[in-house]
Amino acid sequence: MTAIRSWLEWCSNTSAIVFIRDSSYGMPAVQSVHLVGLTMLLAAILVLNLRLAGVGMMDWSLAAVERQLRVWMWVAITLVLASGAVMFIGNPTKYLASGPFQFKMASLALAMLCQFGLFRRFFRSEPAIRPRAINIVVAALFLTLWFSVGWAGRVIAFV
Amino acid sequence: MSLLGFCQWLEQTRLATAISESVWLFPIIEGSHILALPLSVGMILMFDLRLLGLAFQGTSASRLMRDVLRWSKFGFVVVLITGGLLFMTQASKAYDNVFFRTKMVFLLVLGINAVVYQIVFYPKMEQWDAGGAPLGARICGALSLVVWIGVIVCGRTMAYQF
Repeated sequence: MTAIRSWLEWCSNTSAIVFIRDSSYGMPAVQSVHLVGLTMLLAAILVLNLRLAGVGMMDWSLAAVERQLRVWMWVAITLVLASGAVMFIGNPTKYLASGPFQFKMASLALAMLCQFGLFRRFFRSEPAIRPRAINIVVAALFLTLWFSVGWAGRVIAFV
Repeated sequence: MSLLGFCQWLEQTRLATAISESVWLFPIIEGSHILALPLSVGMILMFDLRLLGLAFQGTSASRLMRDVLRWSKFGFVVVLITGGLLFMTQASKAYDNVFFRTKMVFLLVLGINAVVYQIVFYPKMEQWDAGGAPLGARICGALSLVVWIGVIVCGRTMAYQF
């Protein structure tokens, strides 16, 4: 752990990170990328889960919606992870000590594991083969999980 | 009363001071403003991508528009109310801030763009519903995509100067 910490400290003092951290528009620019990525990612997650719950997009199958949004989800995830990594490396000591940050990383890992791993096939299947109540509960759980990641991110700044 | 005078009056209202002085109200309102972005702006971006031929190709554009606009209305109610409350608490700082002013101009441009789409391109959507959008509609989509991103950038950056 100490080796990782000292490596992170070294990263946070590289000239590129120092430049971003100390220039007046570096961090606002990185945070802006993070917010644009968040908007795109959570919008795709919303469309997918609202379709799963049968609230809209009923002209498309769930599998078709998932296929259409897949590439944009990955674009958005790349934006949030890359910008998030720059923010983290800018001040690793602060983030590692932050409870909301730890919660955010844990819920992000769980959300990604479920969305792109355990439940991947679920989002490519036909929801009508199951009772609608199950689809609504799964959609509600996924939306709660993804939006907790976002809320935890906001809490980091205030705690 | 001047616009600046109005901003100073807004800040002194009981509602604005209650939000500023509360430990939790401001973070909750600000968090709601940001986390309503996917439901408001994000839904519009979905349709912009369809206009540009970058998502939902070959599927009905008018049905996609109907679905995403229906959801985005809820999101816009939240961003407008929370945005208004955030503005009240720091109205005179926002008044002086170049990023806030740019954001307001961008929102005006987006409003005009939406009205132009509604009047000029919406009535003719059935002519190309499952295919590629005509050039004019694509330009509306590209403008919306770029300027909405500009709104987010200005919104985030202005907060650094308060």
